[in-house]
Amino acid sequence: MSAETKFGNGACEQYEALLEDYLSGDLSDVDARRAAEHWQTCAGCRAALQHVAASVRLLRAAEPSADPGAGFARVVMARIRAAEAERVAARPNFWQPFVTLGWRFAATAALALVALVTYNAGWGKQSQPGGLAARPITVTDLFAPEPVKAPTTGDEVLIMVADGSNGKY
Amino acid sequence: MAASAPALTLSFQPGEKKADDRELVRLSQNGTQAAFEELVRRHQQRVFGLVAGILHRPDDVEDVAQQVFLKAYVGIKRFDQRAAFSTWLYKIAVNECWDYLRKKKVRPLVYEADLSEEQVSRLDGIVSAERPPEGPSTRAETREILDRMLASLPEQDRQLLVLKEIEGFSVQELAEILDLNVNTVKVRLFRARGRIMDIYRRRLNPVGKAGATPAAQRKE
Repeated sequence: MSAETKFGNGACEQYEALLEDYLSGDLSDVDARRAAEHWQTCAGCRAALQHVAASVRLLRAAEPSADPGAGFARVVMARIRAAEAERVAARPNFWQPFVTLGWRFAATAALALVALVTYNAGWGKQSQPGGLAARPITVTDLFAPEPVKAPTTGDEVLIMVADGSNGKY
Repeated sequence: MAASAPALTLSFQPGEKKADDRELVRLSQNGTQAAFEELVRRHQQRVFGLVAGILHRPDDVEDVAQQVFLKAYVGIKRFDQRAAFSTWLYKIAVNECWDYLRKKKVRPLVYEADLSEEQVSRLDGIVSAERPPEGPSTRAETREILDRMLASLPEQDRQLLVLKEIEGFSVQELAEILDLNVNTVKVRLFRARGRIMDIYRRRLNPVGKAGATPAAQRKE
């Protein structure tokens, strides 16, 4: 036996692929000559080949998996069509974002309307008695002279005459 | 279906023999479901064999195989046809099997059991080439016996032997599907053969009289 590496079943590591080709019947003429030369001198490879040769017969005697039949393709296609239909149903509508936006806008507008009505009906009226809230204050109001009051007593008449404001009220 | 798709559809009739996989893939990419159905028919048996070889759980094989074709249908528009359709499909199948095993958190089902005298004698007849298996029922029984023996092997060895020798995948195909170097597949196969024959001989001769391994023979 040569000094080449041995592995597991006793064959030379470098020749294991060739041995497999030999068993499968895939050995080229060149490789077959190379292998034959080696096996003449290597008892390990010869023994390994003898050991595993029957595995080909043994394993090929077994039945491969059966064809699932025509029904299989039909089932597959039915599943594909069902999945497609599901996908189409789940696909988002082009107008959906606009519809959503419209609904949001409508909800906001409704909320604003409710707020205005509430203000007018309740809080707005409560601030009425003071009179100030009923009419907004304008610039004219700020700079207008105070209204002259009519004299109610004799003293006030005399004071008015003395001030020279007679007939202005 | 075929009638509603554009002009390309008209060139394909379901069951047509002439159209090759490339053409069928092209039609499928254009939405012709009949073309994809033909692809399913063509490859279903090998996908079944591949899934069965990896899962080793007969009850789940059909479900996983269906899932493989569903994924292929979804992904076919992205398939650029640089590799063969079959290789691409088998890779999907292998990944689906691993996903399935991972999700279920199970190892492939192992139902190793002692073989009866009759079963051992049947295997012995096959190995010695005295009794080649006859009908399909006999081959199915042999498969059952071998599955038990194969269950004793490491998972990778079992898969390689089943896919190569029983399901009929070539070394080249296995290398592509499993992303391995061709030489690596050959070496692993050769070593796996050694292991299954060790198991076979141990079952045949529990005391190890005949059929000892080469290592044992050298010691003798």
